[in-house]
Amino acid sequence: MQNNQGNLWQNVMDQVKTWARVNSPWAIHFNSGSCNGCDIEILATLTPRYDMERFGVKLQGSPRHADILICTGPVTRQARERLIRIYEQMPEPKFVVAVGSCALSGGAFQGCYNVEGGIDQVLPVNAYVPGCPPRPEAIIDGLVKLLQALDNGTMPEPITLKPGVAVPSKSGNPA
Amino acid sequence: MNTLTTIITLLIFPGGLCLLLLGLAYEWVDRKLVARLQNRVGPRWFQPLADTIKLLAKEEVVPENVQARLFTVLPVIALAGALTSALYVPLFGLKPAYSFEGDLIVAIYLLSLLTLCTGLAGANTYNRFSLIGATRTLTQLFSYEAPFLLALFGPAIVAGSWKISEIAGYAESHWLVLTQPVGFIVALIGLMGKLELPPFDAPEAETEIVAGALTEYSGRGLALFHLGKGVELVVGLTLVAAFYLGGVANPLAFFVKTLVILLGLAGLQALFTRLRIEQTVGLWWRYGALLVLVQFLALIVWEGWVA
Ligand code: SF4
Repeated sequence: MQNNQGNLWQNVMDQVKTWARVNSPWAIHFNSGSCNGCDIEILATLTPRYDMERFGVKLQGSPRHADILICTGPVTRQARERLIRIYEQMPEPKFVVAVGSCALSGGAFQGCYNVEGGIDQVLPVNAYVPGCPPRPEAIIDGLVKLLQALDNGTMPEPITLKPGVAVPSKSGNPA
Repeated sequence: MNTLTTIITLLIFPGGLCLLLLGLAYEWVDRKLVARLQNRVGPRWFQPLADTIKLLAKEEVVPENVQARLFTVLPVIALAGALTSALYVPLFGLKPAYSFEGDLIVAIYLLSLLTLCTGLAGANTYNRFSLIGATRTLTQLFSYEAPFLLALFGPAIVAGSWKISEIAGYAESHWLVLTQPVGFIVALIGLMGKLELPPFDAPEAETEIVAGALTEYSGRGLALFHLGKGVELVVGLTLVAAFYLGGVANPLAFFVKTLVILLGLAGLQALFTRLRIEQTVGLWWRYGALLVLVQFLALIVWEGWVA
């Protein structure tokens, strides 16, 4: 009996937490080498025309305040460390959305001498939004799908192609 | 019985819980109004509540190189200051829970505690954005505080009392906005400065200094600072409405008058762009303080010799 009540309380608390998380995703945007096309589209998404505040999305400047890291562009070797550092500065729970073909696979920049590949080469990615650049509707759709998955508890495991990479490399590795 | 009423007054109604919820509700009204003025749909009604719960349920990161105890205790002090100041203010159109001679000054300084804590919180971390934010927060505090105080002392002079309840009682029969328009405008804009609303949001300008003094705060600390801001908004609106807009004798008058002021604030927020910090200081000391000082002297002369 005692245990049951404890479980009930736990369930209710979990539901409240999930509800709050789904309804208040604060985002931070990082460009790790994009051509700026995707960034313009993300800005367009935040303008009054599409008004992301309807879903509670707020663009935050500080990684410490954000829940969702919106990444654009391929990961260049220069930006890799910064991307990882920003990801690690975010408090748990945190999610990563990769926006644009380049963020998915390296896209137009694939195979360049200075490019590491898509975002999932470096960070665990929760949602992919394809397109070059994706329209604001597509970005909103990706975000809403992520939130729905979070709500239903059907969130797939984040995808990392190189597990354990999201640790700042020590000196000696000129990544 | 008496202790029970005290506890209820402090924790549930009108202080504590109701006040926090009212603060969140007013924050939503503010955000929604600004959104509508910008031709957007705006947030849903539970948005500030969801934000707060989410922040409370998040991990709190204590960065390296900070005084950890200070870091965790500052948000609590800030919120406590704001909540305490609300006890001396006629919330919901009821009598203030506590009052004594001179509580106006105490209430205003308790409100400033939030800003002071924000400044300290920024100065406590080694983050350069926090430091710049803290400097700007404190600079802004020094620029609006004196004019705001003088603007609230105007009604106190004509009412002949330093007690909030007595001034509010006097103001019920006199619409002081008509006799002291300068004071009203300065108090209103001072409130915007206090709450760091645009155009006075240089201390937390997200396009230049990330998030100002609170850059390093996450989770619980950030949530408490947000709650404190909401409470400060309600208390400030109540003070201005009670002093200048003919008092808040009943709940209806309270809600109508505070919401009218909030509409004005939202309009100003949507209308103006951000001022640089030295423009803010210039505005306050060159115009705000001078104008309100002249009116203050005129009031003293009027009260002393003419009336
Ligand atoms: S996906 Fe297209 S628009 Fe986006 S960064 Fe790559 S090339 Fe630029």
